[in-house]
Amino acid sequence: MEQGKPNKYELGEMLLEIGSLLMVAGANTERVKVTISRIAEAFGCGSDLMITNHALMITVRYKDENKTFTSVKWVPNMHLNFNLISDISTMSWKIVEEKWSVERINNEIKLLDQRALYPRFLVLFLVSLAGAAFCRLFGGASAEMILCFLGTFIGLFVRQETVKLKFNFYLCIFFAALTSSFVVGSYSYLNPHKDFIHALSTCVLFLIPGVPMINSFSDFIDGNILNGTTRGVNVLVIAFAIALGLMVSLLIFNLQ
Amino acid sequence: MDFALVDKGIWLGLAGIGFAVLFNVPRRTLGAIYIMSALGGMLKFYMMSLDFGLVFAAFCGSSLIGFLSVLAAHYRKAPPMTFALPSLIPMIPGFFAYKAMVGVMKLTAEKDVEVYRKLFFETVNNGLSALFIILALSAGVAIPLLITRKETVKRIKTDVSNPQNENLEEEIL
Repeated sequence: MEQGKPNKYELGEMLLEIGSLLMVAGANTERVKVTISRIAEAFGCGSDLMITNHALMITVRYKDENKTFTSVKWVPNMHLNFNLISDISTMSWKIVEEKWSVERINNEIKLLDQRALYPRFLVLFLVSLAGAAFCRLFGGASAEMILCFLGTFIGLFVRQETVKLKFNFYLCIFFAALTSSFVVGSYSYLNPHKDFIHALSTCVLFLIPGVPMINSFSDFIDGNILNGTTRGVNVLVIAFAIALGLMVSLLIFNLQ
Repeated sequence: MDFALVDKGIWLGLAGIGFAVLFNVPRRTLGAIYIMSALGGMLKFYMMSLDFGLVFAAFCGSSLIGFLSVLAAHYRKAPPMTFALPSLIPMIPGFFAYKAMVGVMKLTAEKDVEVYRKLFFETVNNGLSALFIILALSAGVAIPLLITRKETVKRIKTDVSNPQNENLEEEIL
């Protein structure tokens, strides 16, 4: 494919779009940097990035001429999508090898599948099954596993609905943790002599922020201390929201 | 091999699949994620049964997942993190974190010195265990990815050989 000289605005805007897609889908800082500089190099440009948790800033430098392009783009809240990261990674190599034009890349970005790959109830079912598996691994019996399954199912459903209603991100997690632990807690309230501690501690595990946690650590290792700290604090706030939800249920049913 | 370990492996794999679906991974990676989370978790449980200590066991399990994710990335054509993260989640010490949190809540209401002392010891112990296991998990999975990151090797290979050759199949980052 012919690679014409791109309009300076076009190239910069496209790079920002790709960077923002990657950030939202849950890539770490190093991956965003590497992918964007790889694509910019394919067009014979140098790129300098500034990446923060909610904004991307890029300066594209053209080799021969003295012109540069600088712009900032706001990055929305994280919405995990590893399929998108995988597709963009493949695309960035194709761009380098087949010398795509900016126009073709823009079309390709529009074609990228941003929707969820799996139907909603399959996700609900499999995540609940994962919750039951957790319960089993931590030593729960079959009654607790079923309880944990139910708690996770309803909790995840509440989280999906509250996210749709555009509540605050941390509030959604609080609601989900509260619902899950409330379901398990109400069972233990009705059957006070049954063991429930494993179900209660594992029914909120689907909320743990595993991806930000690992991204935080890998940012630290790559030397992006500021981004790593931001992600780490984000993890702490999410953990606090989960703990708050659990605590409210424990107080409601006066469990120890 | 005793059956309890295999049984744990089956449930570990299911837990991994659940999180993989939550993270929306490509369909072709699901099988690899099941196997990886089962193997990593089983290594952790096996080492725990040999009295290696929880933190070291978690570190070894997550390192195994890290190395396997690099291999899987070659065969299934997706970035290593796509495999490593969902497989790692089943190893997260939820029970310790829960115990620590409930312990802190009890501490705020406790007045008796003797009980407080015992409770404080347990709470700090649980909290530190959770913290260090999480650190070991993150480090264990990050280090294999860093060791095998071959950015410079790629560049050289691209320059020497014809870039149109099946390069794409080897490049995974």
